[in-house]
Amino acid sequence: MQIDPIYSDALIFSSLLALLCIGLTLTYLTTRVPNFAHASFATIGIYMALVASRVWETSPYVAIPIAFAVAGAAALALYTFVLRPLIRKGASFAIQMIATLAFDLILIALLNIFADYIVRTYHVSSREFTLRSYDAQVFDLPMLVVVAPAAIAVLVLVLHTVLKKTKFGIAMRAATENQDLAETVGINVKVVYGVSWVLGGGLAGIAGSLMALWFQGDPNFGPQIIPSVFAASIVGGFSSIYGAIVGGILVGLTEVLGTRFLAGEFGAWIVAYRPLIPLVFIAVTLMLAPRGLAGISWGRLLGRSSA
Amino acid sequence: MSLESFYIFSIDLLAIFAVYAIVNLSLNLEFGYGGVPNFGKVLAVGAGAFVVAAVPGRIFASMAGVEGDYIADNLAIISQVNAWLADNVEVGFAVFFLTLGVAAAVGGVLGMATSYPAIRLRGDYLAITLMAFGEGIRIIGNNFVPIAGGTLGVEVPDPLAFLPDGLRFPVATLGLVLIAVAVFVYSEKMVRSPLGRLLRAVRDNEMAAGAVGKDTARVRMKIIIVSAALAAIGGALYSFYVGSTIAFAYDRASWTFWPFLMILIGGLANNRGVLVGTFIFVVVRKLITFFKDSFEGYLPFDVVWLDFLLLGAILLAVLLYRPQGILVEKPTHTIPFLEAGVGPGSAGRLWSPDAPLPDDATRRAKILGVFYR
Repeated sequence: MQIDPIYSDALIFSSLLALLCIGLTLTYLTTRVPNFAHASFATIGIYMALVASRVWETSPYVAIPIAFAVAGAAALALYTFVLRPLIRKGASFAIQMIATLAFDLILIALLNIFADYIVRTYHVSSREFTLRSYDAQVFDLPMLVVVAPAAIAVLVLVLHTVLKKTKFGIAMRAATENQDLAETVGINVKVVYGVSWVLGGGLAGIAGSLMALWFQGDPNFGPQIIPSVFAASIVGGFSSIYGAIVGGILVGLTEVLGTRFLAGEFGAWIVAYRPLIPLVFIAVTLMLAPRGLAGISWGRLLGRSSA
Repeated sequence: MSLESFYIFSIDLLAIFAVYAIVNLSLNLEFGYGGVPNFGKVLAVGAGAFVVAAVPGRIFASMAGVEGDYIADNLAIISQVNAWLADNVEVGFAVFFLTLGVAAAVGGVLGMATSYPAIRLRGDYLAITLMAFGEGIRIIGNNFVPIAGGTLGVEVPDPLAFLPDGLRFPVATLGLVLIAVAVFVYSEKMVRSPLGRLLRAVRDNEMAAGAVGKDTARVRMKIIIVSAALAAIGGALYSFYVGSTIAFAYDRASWTFWPFLMILIGGLANNRGVLVGTFIFVVVRKLITFFKDSFEGYLPFDVVWLDFLLLGAILLAVLLYRPQGILVEKPTHTIPFLEAGVGPGSAGRLWSPDAPLPDDATRRAKILGVFYR
């Protein structure tokens, strides 16, 4: 069975983008700050996959739990030591965003130092590397084609169950909806938000460790992909997990397949302009439907009366 | 450091300081005084540099009668143009100032485009939209070759080509510093003008400013356009100074994030503070690059990452422990109420507690008097 690799590319990119958006949305729900460092949490995952496959010489999938833990810890550090003190001091959203940028800068420096360390100690290429050949094959397809969408499906089930059925999930929804009220009924909002950040960062770490199997890994991967992540999250409305998934898949598919289509229509030169696609998504969404897909009242659009 | 290398070091440091001072002062007008979180500052700066890449070289080439494709034969054309410029100093300066004007105009037009979302969106969504605008300029510049030669970049004609080698950079630096001083004086005048006070009023409480009849959208638009024009001049000057433009140099870090870092360290909404922050940043970066080789043995990694670590950490420390920056924003000087005729007492208080209260009718008349002045 021969499938055009563009479809695997589209499937993998959009699933992993959705995964990144779920993480970003989880953290955004708590602090209402678009976190510039989010994509660098994914870069942490990329390096964990590199270490697992090239240094320890095992399956790159071994890196998944480690990536979750390390990236989750980095996210928790950002929340605990930077954002929470800033919020307590009443810093504006712009200051908080700049603080995440500063944190991102430190993270990128550390990732670069780590990359240097790997090259010097293990003589393994750690910049602009690819791990595609380390992925297993399933039905003549890279295993990632199955794993990436499956990860989303599993995640949706797990998150849905946790958020709707467990005590913790209900506490979390309450805390994001109305912090003061949640505190008065005895929910420890600090812990709940901390867990959200660990989850959000950890999911980005997982997305990164999977991305390493398909895309080129580099310490500066984060700043390159962050516009796509923001675009997809804004399209999704920044308010719900499902919106994040739809946004990620929409922007991801448009970036890969849309570029291919346009290149067929107008010529290959247009491929270089692919990074403009997320920017157009951001502009169009915010001008037409600032609350994203989740904010549109679909019932009214379909001609039904909405309550 | 030998005397000569110290001299070259300081000349270059001053030039970079002047360019960043222009860009930062413009960002301070917009973000510090106007409250517009322009995370796409690089848009205007890059536009200015691209104007320098695309416009003056072509003008000079046609004036000097140099033939050839401007982008493909760029190096040969620019060297011939520079030789011609050495004999046509006045024309060189005229086109130089014309180019700065064009850059400011292009910056202003882009500022107008930026103000479209800026008067409709608020908060983080606005910041992300502006960031997207800023990203766009680099992507287009990198790929649309006729502007700035794409990924290869282009050389830029040098209006100071008539000067001997040893004088070119000192004179260029002097010019940059003079322009930076002019921008500083302009910003200081601006923030002390009624427009400056209105800006702060809109930043601090948009609804209140609107309630007393101020057109808040218009003032935001005005400041964004002015700030973009200034930033474009900064970008254009930088391009003239280094003698070339390359699109990938106009990235989010260099022209958006670093300027934010400098004005936050120095002190938001305080032009002197901006200069202090800019100076600290430029010196730290320059010193790290200068002493790069001496660090090499002691650090187990490339020294480049040290400045990311250091500057990121300094910024976080400032935000957490001294959020107002090194120099604090000064309160606006207003006419004391005493002078305005509302009861005896110190500025900022309607009546001092020990003064006799005026009867209701005079009190009302006097308060109304303040508003109708």
